[in-house]
Amino acid sequence: MGKKIIFLLILGLLLGGVSTTGFAEKTVTMLGIWGGGERDAFMKMLEPFEAKTGIRVEFTGTRDLPTVLTTRVAAGNPPDISALPNPGQMQEFAKIRALVDLSQFMDMSKLQDEYAETWIDLGSYRKTVYAIFISADLKSLVWYSPKAFADAGYQIPQTWEELIALSDKIAAQGKAPWSIGLESGAASGWPGTDWIEDIMLRVASPEVYDKWVNHGISWTDPMVKRAWELFGQIARNEKYVYGGAAAALTTSFGEAPNALFTTPPRAYMHKQATFIKSFILKYNPDLQPGVDFSFFPFPSIDLDYGTPALGAADMFAVFKDTPEAQALMRYLATAGAQEIWVAELGKLSANRRVNPNAYPDDLTRKAAEVLASAETFRFDGSDLMPAAVGSGSFWSGILDYVGGEDLDSVLERIEETAVDAYKE
Amino acid sequence: MTEKMSRSLSRGLLHTVIIFIALLWLIPTIGVLVTSFRPAQDVANSGWWTVFESIFSSVRLTLRNYEVVLSRLGIGRAFLNSFLITLPATLIPLGIALFAAYALAWMRFFARTFVFMIIIALLMVPLQMTFIPILQIFNKSGLAGTFPGIWLAHSGYGLPLAIYMLYNFISGLPKELFDSASIDGAPPFYIFLYIVLPLSVPIIASLTIFQFLWVWNDLLVALIYLGGTPDVAPITVQISSLVGSYGQDWELLTAAVFISIVPSLAVFFGLQRYFVRGILAGSIKE
Repeated sequence: MGKKIIFLLILGLLLGGVSTTGFAEKTVTMLGIWGGGERDAFMKMLEPFEAKTGIRVEFTGTRDLPTVLTTRVAAGNPPDISALPNPGQMQEFAKIRALVDLSQFMDMSKLQDEYAETWIDLGSYRKTVYAIFISADLKSLVWYSPKAFADAGYQIPQTWEELIALSDKIAAQGKAPWSIGLESGAASGWPGTDWIEDIMLRVASPEVYDKWVNHGISWTDPMVKRAWELFGQIARNEKYVYGGAAAALTTSFGEAPNALFTTPPRAYMHKQATFIKSFILKYNPDLQPGVDFSFFPFPSIDLDYGTPALGAADMFAVFKDTPEAQALMRYLATAGAQEIWVAELGKLSANRRVNPNAYPDDLTRKAAEVLASAETFRFDGSDLMPAAVGSGSFWSGILDYVGGEDLDSVLERIEETAVDAYKE
Repeated sequence: MTEKMSRSLSRGLLHTVIIFIALLWLIPTIGVLVTSFRPAQDVANSGWWTVFESIFSSVRLTLRNYEVVLSRLGIGRAFLNSFLITLPATLIPLGIALFAAYALAWMRFFARTFVFMIIIALLMVPLQMTFIPILQIFNKSGLAGTFPGIWLAHSGYGLPLAIYMLYNFISGLPKELFDSASIDGAPPFYIFLYIVLPLSVPIIASLTIFQFLWVWNDLLVALIYLGGTPDVAPITVQISSLVGSYGQDWELLTAAVFISIVPSLAVFFGLQRYFVRGILAGSIKE
């Protein structure tokens, strides 16, 4: 009797399993990195497309994107369209001919009209466009509380000297000017790499930055060393950082800005990308963007190089050339689609035809202006470096340096891993 | 008298140590449980243990995390998918392993030791290495993205350990049983069905728990072979998609974990009286 029930159960499962698999409907499979609220926003962007074309988008969001995508491409079973973690990965896929040339089905002149050249270059490999960007995060921002600044009579610094002078002034009053959070689980250290990259762009030309990213100059180069020293001037100064190095190393990046919004403030400034807005609002739901918290651009250091913009961006490429995938790709590139996407999240659109009114608040609009008006834009360097460096020794180097280790030995160690990593 | 005292003293000490170790093991789980009832703001601003400090003043506990998880997950379909994956992926390898272990332990055939060694060697193959070749095969045979595909994959990953453990148990059964059965004229299949199976219940129960937990908690294998579309995604895939790309909303995970843990606990407590016997099996020879 019991056996019969088990047998029937298995039979039922088999039939149930098989019956859900074979559907012939117009679909696009899509892989991305988004979850939670981001995923909801992404699905919302896809709704009009699905309604208009009748094509169903099967979206999978996973933070294991690099593993899953590489495996599926290698096995010949890629999704139709996938998000890519960074331009370096895009070039790898382009090299092995896993990507579809977008100029075959997309209106290139329209693309050039709607996107800045930087974006098109970043999505190209050997003059062929393989990827489009739908949104960006601007990293060169320092967050502060306008109220706290007004109460204490602080001015927004325009240059590095003014930034240090302000930090000294706050520290002299017995308060902490900065809140820094480097903890991010297995990825701990990455917020520090943004500091180094932003400083690099301000003490050297964009060409030198590119060289540094491609290991054209060594990590022990005086220019790289200077960038680290300037970072250390703030991050290793116990009087500057709330809680000192110990707090910087153990505070989660998402929770670090909270120190700005306590009464009295535990700290006054925090350097982080645009996405931090959602963390601030989540942990402090009563705050008004633009009123209770705002940002100023990370100031210039050597005036020759101005205030370049550092950022990361969300890119998509086509792996299977189907009519449905083509249609979806054309849709994703439009200003209309990106307006829905950025309205939900506070990300910045890559399409310059996007209506500024689509941004949810003045603060995001302001960030979009900073991004659009920047003379120089560079992609987050650690995302472009080989993983052994960009998400390995660079991250751990930041932790070691902030933890008090000698700079030369930190840089020599990163250089050692870089020599191996760039060989391949 | 003194002997009695020292005995009860040493037992008391033993119990204290055991309880202490058990508590130490439980601390992370308790932390997750407490966090799952705290609002996001509190999670960010103070540790979960602070709940106990101020237990009488202003404890702020909420069911919101559970509400969000239940409404977002599409929990019904995800649970069903998880069962659709886990039950066959537990029963199929167990069935195959039982036959194989019996044959390897009690039947004589060519290259028996060699076959057994190969199976043991397979225990050492990291499953990540197999993703690409197996996915290639699945693509060609149309098994990629289907439930039978993932049953097959999980069966393959589970078989070596299952055969190894069952072999150890079954080969330890008294030889006389088999001798007298064959003298009575029972063919091997009857011996398997009426002697080996009933005697192996404890080890079968332990293996069922192992394999069930392993498949139920699996995320990567499902993502690779099934993909993550809602009509096939198991609960682990859905749970992982609750968290944003920067790790935001992780307090939802704590609630989701306790929801997904329920079937595992049910299986464990349902089978645990066999489980203990299964682990002890073979430790004493009469």
